[in-house]
Amino acid sequence: MTLKWTIALLPCLCLAQLDRVGPPNSNNALLKNPAAVEAGQRRFLQLCAACHARNGEGGQGEGQGPNLITSWEVRRAPDKELFGFIKNGVKGTTMPPFALPDDQIWELAAFVRSLNAPASAVPVPGDAAAGEAIFFGNISGNITTNQGCSACHSILGRGGYLGPDLSNIGAVRRLGEIREAILNPKAEATPGYRPVLLEVSKGERLRGVARYESNWSLAVLDERGDLHLLHGAEVAKAQFQKRSWMPAAHLSADEMQNLLAYLCRRTTRGSAN
Amino acid sequence: MRLLPIAMLASLPAMTLSAQVGDEDLRQGPNRDWLTYIGDYSAHRHSPLTEINPRTISRLAPKWVRQFPGTGDLETVPLVYQGVMYATITNQAFALDAVTGQEIWHYRAQDAQRTAVNRGVAMLGDRIYFSTADCHLVALRRTSGAVVWDREYAALKSGYSCTGAPLAVKDKIIVGVASSGQTCFISALSAETGQEAWRVWTVPRKGEPGSDTWGNFPLENGGAPAWTTGTYDPSLNLLYWPTGNPWPDFGGDRPGDNLYSDCVLALDADTGKMKWYFQFVPHDTHDWDANEAPVLLDTEFRGRPRKLLVQANRNGFYYILDRTNGEFLLAEPFVKQLNWATGIDVKGRPMVAPHTDPSPAGVRVCPTVHGATNWWSPSLNPELGLFYVVALEQCETYYSSAQPPAPNSGFRGTGHTLIAGEPGQFYLRALDMKTGKLRWEFPMPGPTLMWAGTVSTAGGLVFSADDDGDLVGLDAKTGKALWHFSMGSNLKASPMTFSAGGRQYVTIAAGRNLFTFGLVD
Repeated sequence: MTLKWTIALLPCLCLAQLDRVGPPNSNNALLKNPAAVEAGQRRFLQLCAACHARNGEGGQGEGQGPNLITSWEVRRAPDKELFGFIKNGVKGTTMPPFALPDDQIWELAAFVRSLNAPASAVPVPGDAAAGEAIFFGNISGNITTNQGCSACHSILGRGGYLGPDLSNIGAVRRLGEIREAILNPKAEATPGYRPVLLEVSKGERLRGVARYESNWSLAVLDERGDLHLLHGAEVAKAQFQKRSWMPAAHLSADEMQNLLAYLCRRTTRGSAN
Repeated sequence: MRLLPIAMLASLPAMTLSAQVGDEDLRQGPNRDWLTYIGDYSAHRHSPLTEINPRTISRLAPKWVRQFPGTGDLETVPLVYQGVMYATITNQAFALDAVTGQEIWHYRAQDAQRTAVNRGVAMLGDRIYFSTADCHLVALRRTSGAVVWDREYAALKSGYSCTGAPLAVKDKIIVGVASSGQTCFISALSAETGQEAWRVWTVPRKGEPGSDTWGNFPLENGGAPAWTTGTYDPSLNLLYWPTGNPWPDFGGDRPGDNLYSDCVLALDADTGKMKWYFQFVPHDTHDWDANEAPVLLDTEFRGRPRKLLVQANRNGFYYILDRTNGEFLLAEPFVKQLNWATGIDVKGRPMVAPHTDPSPAGVRVCPTVHGATNWWSPSLNPELGLFYVVALEQCETYYSSAQPPAPNSGFRGTGHTLIAGEPGQFYLRALDMKTGKLRWEFPMPGPTLMWAGTVSTAGGLVFSADDDGDLVGLDAKTGKALWHFSMGSNLKASPMTFSAGGRQYVTIAAGRNLFTFGLVD
């Protein structure tokens, strides 16, 4: 599959639940050190994955480790406490102590923190500029005929309307969530983005998303950014579609990493300063 | 005849909502839409809509309620454009279907470092703008809620807070800040980029004109907050922005008039250059902010047409100024409980009564720190020549302290207490807009806790919050109460009115809810 075709299939990054997580409770300098986080990840695979699963998503069955990505205990724990969980184990659970040098435990703690932290708080390797080009459909300096992800998603005022705005995605989503949403988008759309085809005039239908729906009224944002308020019988002008407008992405590993490097650094605050 | 085209427009189905809100729309003022916090640039808050009127108001009933859990009492005044309502709570903005109350989009500034009330948004082009409590101006796409930019206009560490609704003027968004112990400012930010175009400090810098009105008091701590929304005269290209009290609120060693506290500033909208100022309370020691709406009025006054600025001030006087040059023309008390001044002299300077400064033992002064009125919105019916203001009749005891002032610590120079056996009372008062004389009043028994104002309509009505938690509809000409609805909470926002789908509605925030009323067929 050519890159161009791949990009054509990537107009929509429908990312759910955009307002859940807060910043991690961490001053661990290693969190900003990609080499340390990677070292922690390698050690995690050797020592921790058996119980917590390879990506920290938690093991299956009794006695298995909890999901470290969503764990509130991990999020709220100060660095020293997280360090202590690993070094000393957790009493009353099956979490054992690990007799490792302190620097290796800090690397492990940095990796665990990176699982739990918003994407913007962790180092994400990759070429963010190349990722931006993928997002906006501008490859190697050439404007392609499609708009890449920005056909549906916007960042700071640039882009489309059929998917959530991603201006602050790095602050409200974890790296794993962003990766998963690109690689394996759910058929069911994010609330507020249910796909519709809207009859805007005789014979003309536009793609749109239902920003809200009820038995009596509907608000459709169409692909041109126009908002349509439908009341009563007007609701019939919108036909709901089965699948989200978000397609699966087909990117090379490098392209995926570059896109992640770009998206993970998107935060709203200070964007105009 | 003027109403016919509006009714025709309103009857069109609200469909494709992509039009741009332009300068002309904002100048035009309310019609079916409500495009600024103050209704139009003049702050008349007078709508031409007539469907709800003294003959139909008995059929006025709730149409929808929108709840905002997890917030405090709302102070937002929503805007409406083409059937979509834009409202705010702290650090969040919402777009609602104005006919159903259903949420179209919702934006939360999740990294905001402070919470505070928020009074609303500004609208221009295809964007809306609102301030976070920690003083970021956020530009959002009007139809989608997508972020266009986020601009910090006052540093968090400086201790400012931002609660007012911005005002869109030509290609700029005007904002102001408040603080406890820092000199404040008014800024114009580019509507396109958020870049600051100009900034006006509300206390002069060292060596500037007016800096000699503070003695040796540190000018950087002068206060004079700009926490409400001003007005704008396109014909003069002047903004009229009110400022608040000097800091510390109740005294301190700041001898002099303390410019530009308790003023209205006339600022060139393009450059921020101050054309004139008028100070209502020189050397304020009672926290009598002048942040009430400076209402603009073109009318014949004393035999010739004039461009006027009128304000019912927190200090208890209704003022009329010539807004071309700031000339003082008239001041008339609009409350009876007023003992701090014996009158206003021909230059507009109050004749302060002796022994009314706060003292260690306490001194009884009227009005209270709540004010004879406050930031809640007045309205003006130009056809009837009436200015509607919610007034509070009450006195209290003001104290002073020898404690050294400490900025950003909540220190206000001591304080004030209500007086046992002297309960106050709110009134909705209709003043003759050219004289300030009372034409009618509507008493409002209650706990004297409300912070809510009024809206006027060409249908012959004025709607006002009531201190007992009701929204009240009154005959605009006589003050006769025609309709009321108990909102179930204390009211801290002013009502507004709009039309969507050919029907007129009235909206007001109450507690954590937004209520919208319309006629039942």
